[in-house]
Amino acid sequence: MNDPVLKGAAYALIQANDVALHQGSTPVSERLANPDSHFLAELPAHWRSFEQAVAYPPNQAFIGNIHPRELRRIPRPWHGNLMDDARAGGKHGAIFSEDVLYALMKAVDAFDLVLLDNEFLAPIKEKLLIYEGIKQWGCLARLDKNQAALIRIEELVASGSAEPMYFEHQLVGCVKRAHEYDVALSAHVMFENLVAKATGAAALQLLMNKTRLIPADVDYLIECSEEACGDMNQRGGGNFAKAVGEICGCVNATGSDTRSFCAGPAHAIVEAAALVRSGIYDHVVVLAGGASAKLGMNSRDHVKKGLPMLEDMLGAFAVHIAKNDGISPVIRTDAVGRHKIGSGASPQAVMQAIVADPLADAGLRISDIDIFSAELQNPEITEPAGAGDVPGANYKMIAALGVMRKEFDRSRLNQVVESIGMPGFAPTQGHIPSGVPFLAHCRASILDGTIQRAMIIGKGSLFLGRMTNLFDGISFIIQANAGAKSENEDHQARCGSKKTRVGLTVLGSEHPVSELVKGAEAASAADPCLEVVLIGGKKSGKLAAVAADSPEACLKIMDQMLAQGHLDAAVAMHYAFPLSVSTVGRIITPAFGRKVYLANTTGASATQRVEALVRNTISGIAVAKACGNQAPTVGLLNLEGARQAERILRTLCQNGYRISFAGSGRADGGAVMRGNDLLRGVPDIMVMDSLTGNVMIKVFSAFSSGGGYESSGDGYGPGVGEKYGKVVNIISRASGAPVVAGALLYAAEAARGNLPDVAAAEFAAAKKAGLGDLFCPLTTDRPLEEKAAAPPEKAVDEEIAGIEVFVIEDAVKQLWKNGIYAASGMGCTGPVIMVASEDHTKAIALLKQGGYL
Amino acid sequence: MDLGNQQRIKELAEQYGSEELLVVLGGAEAEASGLAAETVSVGDPTYAGPLAGVSLGLKAYHMFELKNEVDGAIYEEQVGMMEMVLNVDAIISEVTAYRAQ
Repeated sequence: MNDPVLKGAAYALIQANDVALHQGSTPVSERLANPDSHFLAELPAHWRSFEQAVAYPPNQAFIGNIHPRELRRIPRPWHGNLMDDARAGGKHGAIFSEDVLYALMKAVDAFDLVLLDNEFLAPIKEKLLIYEGIKQWGCLARLDKNQAALIRIEELVASGSAEPMYFEHQLVGCVKRAHEYDVALSAHVMFENLVAKATGAAALQLLMNKTRLIPADVDYLIECSEEACGDMNQRGGGNFAKAVGEICGCVNATGSDTRSFCAGPAHAIVEAAALVRSGIYDHVVVLAGGASAKLGMNSRDHVKKGLPMLEDMLGAFAVHIAKNDGISPVIRTDAVGRHKIGSGASPQAVMQAIVADPLADAGLRISDIDIFSAELQNPEITEPAGAGDVPGANYKMIAALGVMRKEFDRSRLNQVVESIGMPGFAPTQGHIPSGVPFLAHCRASILDGTIQRAMIIGKGSLFLGRMTNLFDGISFIIQANAGAKSENEDHQARCGSKKTRVGLTVLGSEHPVSELVKGAEAASAADPCLEVVLIGGKKSGKLAAVAADSPEACLKIMDQMLAQGHLDAAVAMHYAFPLSVSTVGRIITPAFGRKVYLANTTGASATQRVEALVRNTISGIAVAKACGNQAPTVGLLNLEGARQAERILRTLCQNGYRISFAGSGRADGGAVMRGNDLLRGVPDIMVMDSLTGNVMIKVFSAFSSGGGYESSGDGYGPGVGEKYGKVVNIISRASGAPVVAGALLYAAEAARGNLPDVAAAEFAAAKKAGLGDLFCPLTTDRPLEEKAAAPPEKAVDEEIAGIEVFVIEDAVKQLWKNGIYAASGMGCTGPVIMVASEDHTKAIALLKQGGYL
Repeated sequence: MDLGNQQRIKELAEQYGSEELLVVLGGAEAEASGLAAETVSVGDPTYAGPLAGVSLGLKAYHMFELKNEVDGAIYEEQVGMMEMVLNVDAIISEVTAYRAQ
């Protein structure tokens, strides 16, 4: 049995003023009853701007930029006290605008129902590119299809067969009905369902952006909004869950929908916890999108009382429930509260069933719970409408329950209310405020030790469906993880707050994929704080995988995942580093089995030989230090330029950049080393040019296996440069499982040791000691090209080899001057220029013309 | 007051006559309870529902006012907790003010 944990939660808010006016149930009812209504005419004057909605303190609390209890320190009305430092991007989520909503609705629409005016669509497509994760959705391709002219949209809306989409009072699109007469597929229903799908998908994507959940990890999705999707023969057939999972690439998951009005989310989380605890699934996501019908629900009262239309925000969330990781807060499946059919309808009976009874089951009292998260509707929205302060009322009821159970004296009622609760901050979106808005804050507070235990309560008004007068409610307790008992016990202490995640590209090797998987398994077994992600492979045992169909795709995905923070490091075959980045390999030397760093094994740290040797030394030192050797010894292999390099290094040393030089084992000593010293593993770091280093590492890796299978050492090592921010280790296409394993462990070491920062510091220290001044100026026969501006950057996927390294930068600039975007890099046989495939032919012609080829 | 409830009360008044009818309120808010009392006596002040402009002249009492009319143990079980939670005095005062004389 595996205790389920709350591994992550993310939230989205989407402002939708025009949707409120045209699809909100209150304005829609008003328009039907009273088309010339004064209220409808006045409503837009109460709209907030996007900036005002973002800066609204409850909205900042919802996306995680402030803790809900900080609202106690902001005077009300909150709409009169907007925050200066508010951001649309939050710690736990983000706020989107209505135009983005419409684009997402079209993107997630698989049935060509959404039409958007071309003029409206064009700038939005650009806007979407700032959203991490969303911008990579495959379904965004739909934005380029099925385009419509405004006149066609107007016709459809006028005919009544489409629901209008307005933006800032302009008609910009519509949602068509999906069937001529089936009311379950009416335009209005399709509109509402697409809102739920689009906003739910946005929340799921935010969950993946903000946590380390990758789509392929998800086993099951549960959607718990209050919408129904189906047709006249099955009006609520459902499965928003699977539809949303598809948008976000959850290829290994299925799902289903859970419904119980506002209590839906709490039910869904209990279900998810049960699925994980029983071992059926390891990773379940509970999610829900927003309700367009509820927008502006209480706006009559808001307008009457001169308030802004505060119900302009759709809400959405996604929560990750996973098997015990030894760290995240645990959901107690032994103490779930439920309002039973026989429980009785009075508020007392309800609180007894969902608060008192589960606490008793757990052997706890109300005072053992640090904070309760019940219905968290923003009181600023509900009070003007006569519905009071809902969270406040809930907390009073819990405190009153405590008084009745003789836990506290009645005189302390208000004090208890303060200490167990928080101000409401969620939009009145039904299922959205019910318990779940606090989950991300709860997790953070438990992890940082502020609280130990929280109770999450969901309640629902079932009578609204006219099937029963019964009320509903469900609750669960979340508490700090005691640290998993069996395998993970001291791993948690070692791993700190998370495991090190290293990606491994598995396509492109001369050996079968299984060889790389073997290496990954061996590394995982050797280091329990290491999590390997196979890129290009299939999920294998405990190893997660991300799909890719070619070696090039593997590298692209690897780079994306590194950029998004989903990987701490990666191991790759055939990765072209930029010029000035080169790799520091690590071999096992035969004499005593000592590991030695080879600086460097691939790449070009400088175009001039001696400078390269000096920079290789610094990179070697950086890697050794990042991997735990704070005073590594340095030797230079006796090659051309070694003595000049040694002189320069000694000067740097004298000027304050400390270097420990090794002494040759041969009779004449000195820091310049022979081949014997390499075999004997004399220095910690052996410095050489990268072509020699490349030969050395191949010989040392594959010596005992005859050359075709690298079986020894840790591979060609991480790329290091003055300003290189990633940890990418290289293996070759001949690297066998032992080297793959070694490279993964090596990459994890480098990531944990913060190699990019250590390298930057080493180069800065060397610069301070005069690194820049110690080399002869570059001399070539060609005049140096003056500064040229680069044309707009594009993805480069073709390599042109054969250009001399000391003119490669000039060649790049030559292409730039002719409007071709190009970048220099290091291929596996020498320097290359990289261009986009469409520019390849022209680039070659220009380079030949310039005498570079 | 909820439009559905307005309709039901209107129908009950038509069926049984205003003399035979008393309205018992269980609202949590003083303002809303006062509005409800007003609605069943002089008519819906928001002009939104079936009782808009319809004066049934019914008397409305909040449950808190009827404490002595019911069994003490049952009252404690069903309403006791909410006495601690809600602003009893404000509610009673609003409802009394709007109650038909």
